[in-house]
Amino acid sequence: MVVAPPASYCPHHPVLMTPDSLPGIGEIVSFTTLHTPPAGFKSPLHLAIVELDGGARFVCHGSDVKGLKVGAAVAIEAIDNIYYFSNLGTLDRARLFWRRAGRAGDRVNAIARSLAKRMWKGKHRAAS
Amino acid sequence: MPDVFVAGVGMTRVGRRSEPLPDLMADAAHAALAEAGLEVPDAIVVATMNPEEFIGDGNFASNVATQMGFADVPTLRVETATSSGAAAFYAGFAQVAAGLRHTVLVVGGEKMTHLTTPRVSELIGRSIDPYERAYGATMPALAGLVTRALMTRGAANAREIAQVAVKNHANAARNPLAHFQDAVTVEQVLESRMVADPLRLLHCCPISDGAAAVVVSAEPARVRVAGIGHGTDTLAMRHRRELTSFGATRMAAREAYGMARFGPERIDVAEVHDAFTPFELISLEDLGLVPPGKAGRATLDGETALDGRLPINPSGGLKARGHPLAATGLAQIVECVWQLTGRAHGRQVAGARRALAHSIGGLATNNWVTLLEARG
Ligand SMILES: [Zn+2]
Repeated sequence: MVVAPPASYCPHHPVLMTPDSLPGIGEIVSFTTLHTPPAGFKSPLHLAIVELDGGARFVCHGSDVKGLKVGAAVAIEAIDNIYYFSNLGTLDRARLFWRRAGRAGDRVNAIARSLAKRMWKGKHRAAS
Repeated sequence: MPDVFVAGVGMTRVGRRSEPLPDLMADAAHAALAEAGLEVPDAIVVATMNPEEFIGDGNFASNVATQMGFADVPTLRVETATSSGAAAFYAGFAQVAAGLRHTVLVVGGEKMTHLTTPRVSELIGRSIDPYERAYGATMPALAGLVTRALMTRGAANAREIAQVAVKNHANAARNPLAHFQDAVTVEQVLESRMVADPLRLLHCCPISDGAAAVVVSAEPARVRVAGIGHGTDTLAMRHRRELTSFGATRMAAREAYGMARFGPERIDVAEVHDAFTPFELISLEDLGLVPPGKAGRATLDGETALDGRLPINPSGGLKARGHPLAATGLAQIVECVWQLTGRAHGRQVAGARRALAHSIGGLATNNWVTLLEARG
C-alpha cells in the first residue's frame, strides 16, 4: 500500500513504511463542493480524492469543478503543503502520452517532474 | 456462551430538548429499569460521543451514574464516535455473556442543539482523519464524495436516494418520539439546499438531542440477543480502495450472522444507519439484505417501506427519528425490541421475529451489527 502523506506504519499492518515518490498525475476518484465550508475556508470549497498512477490517493483542493467527471485525468501540485488538482485538457493528455513515449520538455512533464521532487510518501514494501 | 436477553428498554423523545443531558439519560435509564423490574443494575455502561466539547463535562460515566442515583454501581464509558451506543450495548452484552454481571444497564445520550450548526459540524468532524480535516473535510463532505462515487457507478440515482428520505419521514410521522413529524416529497428533497454536491439538506439527518437505554440480563426475557458483530476500517477515506461499500459493515455483518447462525434472509425488520440517505442504500447491500446493485430499485418499489417485504427504519431512522449520536445505536435497539414485542404502535411490522440494528461510527470506521430475536 502507498499512503500520503508519509505515515510511520501501514494502516493495515504494523510494518514501518519507507519513503517513495510518484509523478503527480492521476485521476479523480470522486469530488464534491461544500457550500458552507468550515471556518477558515472560502465558499464554495471544491474537494476531490485523486488517485495517482502508482496507487496513492490524495485529498486535494481544486479551483473549479465545472465539467469535471469521476475518472478525469488530473495533475496535482502542492502549494504551501496543500495539494491542488487541475484538469488535464486534451492537449495536456496528448503531451503526457508523448512524455510516456519518451519525449520530454512539455508543460505536463515539467509539472510531473517538479511533483516527483516535492512529493514524499510512505510506501509499504512488505506484502500487504 | 450463555444466552443474553433484553429485559427492558426506554428512550426519550428525540429533538430539541431543554433538559440537561444527565436528566435525559436518567429518564431513558429509569424507563428501561422499570420495564425490567430492576431497582439497581449490577453495572452500567454509558455511551456519549463528546460531552467534553458539546456540554463541557468529562468523567461522564461517574457524572451520569451519580446524577441518576447510581453512584455506587460500577460504571464505565464506551466511545466509538457515532456508533458509541451500539458499542456500549456490546460492552454490556459481553459482561453478561462472560458471566461477570447478571444485569447491566446500557444508557446513551447526546445534547447538541444548544450549539450553532457550524460548531456542531466542527465537533462531529473531530472524528475525521486530521489530515483530511485540514482540507476542510466535514462529515457531509465525505458523504458527498461517497454519494458522487455511488451515482457515477450507476448504483443509485437521485430519485432512489431521495426516496429514502421520503420513506423515513413517512415512518417518523408515525413515531411520537421522532424528531420530525412531517412528511416530505421527492420534489422537496431534490429542491432542498445543496450541502455537499450531490448531497442536499434533506438527504442529511438533523442535529438532535435525546437518550436511549437498554437493560441486558442473563435472566430469560422476551427478546434474546442472537448475535453481535464489530467491523472497522481506516480512519482516512483516502486509504480505502472502495468508497461505495463499507468494509466495516461487511465485517460486522459477517461476525453477527456467524454468531446468530442465521443469515440476512431471516431478518424481518431492520434499523439501518442512514445519517445520509445514500448510506441506507449502501448498507442494505453491505448487510446482504438486498442483492448487490438492487437497493435503489427495492426502495423505489416500496420493498423497504413499512408495508413492504422488508421494512427498513420503521422508527424514521437517523434521517427523521433524529441522530442524537451516542443515543442512536441504542435507540435502534429500542425500536427493534418494540417491533419484536408488538409495541411499535402505529408502525408495527406484523409478525416480526428477527430484527437487525446497524450502526456506523465516524465515516464507517467503526461499525456494529446487532441481531435480536423474539422468543416464545
Ligand atoms: Zn501493509
